[in-house]
Amino acid sequence: MATLAAFFTVFTHPELFALVALGTFAGVYVGAIPGLSVTMAVSILISFTFSWDVMPAIALMIGIYMGGVYGGSRTAILLNIPGAPAAIATAIDGYPMAKRGQAGEAIGITTTMSFFGGFVGIIVLAVAAPFVSNFALTFQPRDYMLLAVLGLLLVGSLAGESLVKGIFCGALGLMLGTVGMDPLTFTQRFTFDLPLLQSGISFIAVMIGLFGVSEALSQLHHIDKTPVRQAISRIVPSFATIRKHLPLSLQTSALGVLIGALPGTGGDIAALMAYDHAKRVTRNPERAFGDGAIEGLVAPETANNAAVGGAFIPMMTLGIPGDAVTAIMIGALFIHGLNPGPMLMVEKPDMFWFIVGGLVLANFCMLLFGLTGIKLFVKIVEMPRAVLVPLIMLLSIVGAYAVNNSITDVYWMLGFGVFGYFLKLYGYPLGPIILGVILSRLLDDNWRRAIISERGSLPDFFLGLVSSPLSLTLFLAVLFIFFSQTPPWKRWRGRREALRAKADPARPAAATGSEGGR
Amino acid sequence: MTGRRARRPGETVFTVVLLLVSLYLLWSAYGIAGFESLSSPGAIPLATTAAMVVTAALVLLKTAQTPANREETLKHDILPPMIAIFAGLLIGYALLLEPLGFLPTSFLFLTVAIRLLSKRSIIHAALIALFSLILVYVLFRIVFTVLVPPGIVPEGEILAWIRHLVSGKA
Repeated sequence: MATLAAFFTVFTHPELFALVALGTFAGVYVGAIPGLSVTMAVSILISFTFSWDVMPAIALMIGIYMGGVYGGSRTAILLNIPGAPAAIATAIDGYPMAKRGQAGEAIGITTTMSFFGGFVGIIVLAVAAPFVSNFALTFQPRDYMLLAVLGLLLVGSLAGESLVKGIFCGALGLMLGTVGMDPLTFTQRFTFDLPLLQSGISFIAVMIGLFGVSEALSQLHHIDKTPVRQAISRIVPSFATIRKHLPLSLQTSALGVLIGALPGTGGDIAALMAYDHAKRVTRNPERAFGDGAIEGLVAPETANNAAVGGAFIPMMTLGIPGDAVTAIMIGALFIHGLNPGPMLMVEKPDMFWFIVGGLVLANFCMLLFGLTGIKLFVKIVEMPRAVLVPLIMLLSIVGAYAVNNSITDVYWMLGFGVFGYFLKLYGYPLGPIILGVILSRLLDDNWRRAIISERGSLPDFFLGLVSSPLSLTLFLAVLFIFFSQTPPWKRWRGRREALRAKADPARPAAATGSEGGR
Repeated sequence: MTGRRARRPGETVFTVVLLLVSLYLLWSAYGIAGFESLSSPGAIPLATTAAMVVTAALVLLKTAQTPANREETLKHDILPPMIAIFAGLLIGYALLLEPLGFLPTSFLFLTVAIRLLSKRSIIHAALIALFSLILVYVLFRIVFTVLVPPGIVPEGEILAWIRHLVSGKA
């Protein structure tokens, strides 16, 4: 009974209700504007809400978090600039849809699916928190390393026209992530004795440069053409559309919760993995992936919002952050005298159920704000390019500056903007660079921890790998995905499909073409 | 999509630059800890830069084999004057941002950029620039309280004064 009362706290207290709603609304816009990150907003909020009670403070942050994860998709669809890393995969199919005049449909399906994914995440958080945390507790550095490798293999899915170029960009991203002082040994890496490189290159500066400025520069090619009018068709998706994608959304939601629950991996990686999953399981998409496939929106959007619930699992049960935002929220709980970890669940179960309730409300608010107010939002996109392009550039510069109040970040951002422009021009995919930067720390730290725990012996490392069921499963998954992306395997599959098509003419052989050819 | 597209102007040079930079980075990664141990801080950098060198070399090999695109020119399709001008404008903006401050620099940048792109009168461009700048300023500086370089306009003091005025009346 006390559980139920705690769960309904946000619904019965008008001021908490209003704070969650306000937070979600602000979160949608914070998430949508490139350069403004949810992480940044939540960290600023900590200083604002320092003197508040714990419940209103947490209520506001929950709203911002939920809305922010979703909000990134809007700019991804309308401008092809992911407002947040979690929306990188959404841009791949969302933008082509908007270019065809289906922006409304894309936003509608994105909102509904985010809502759906968010709910799956919350349900799993509420029901299975202890089980999932027990599972994550057994993870060794080796397993985290394998997880990072698994994430990296998505390069194959993001690579576009050339796998080799994709691998180059992924490796470049990994290298960029290692720039600066090594946190384990304080060795300088790629700093070239320059003080400004010691703290590394700001990931947000790289992201804004690659996705903001390089896009703005590319748009200068088409400045004379009439601007694409992003017509907003119907926004609320039909029930048939939702039902059609229900199986996929359930799968990707589950994937999202799992990835979100793993410490260090959040909605961004969940979205990319879900996109990859959708590409594998969708046999005959109405449109090819990358060309505006609805499945390409359903998968990442369910997964990144499901990851929110997932991220709270290790945070509430173990005190380990699931991603950057939950790391800051752990800090907020500490400030308010709470001790996140296994004991919190025992001593203050009310807090847990209050957060679950807050997440449910935030999810509903997100659905409401997501399906309304788009006309206003679209006005930004319908601006003439002559105004829009300079504004994107201006926002990129302000965004890059705002992260650390440092002009150095602005130079990095511009540098990557120009570099990204040329990369795009010559057919190099930009997604893998970001993927590499995100996964760099996870891979580097855990590879070294794993090797050190085996006293530097590679044979022992492999022995440990095959003797632990969990590591072995992850390792086999890595091998499988790796080989399924290599050309010989694709040729073999193509041949097999062709043979099968000959034996059974009713079955089209097109499936592999759309999947492997891109 | 599987069909090879033709080589674009400047593509070979770009790939060569990528390969050279990768080689330099590989050499730099080797300098971190050499082949000391598998768990050294240089292990992952060495592996990633090696991967960059190998893939850049492969791309170069492929690029050299593909026929050049005869229809495209460097000046028209790769680096049109407008893009070079904008790259220059951006660098100018970044250079002036701290000494001159956010408001004047942004106003100048937006006016020049909109004038160049829209080919309308300078007054027209300045008005649109002013209007967009007010929107951006209200949203970022006041709503999100993002810090911007103040420069020559004491906007921080003005804001504080206005806030004081509002709170004084309330």
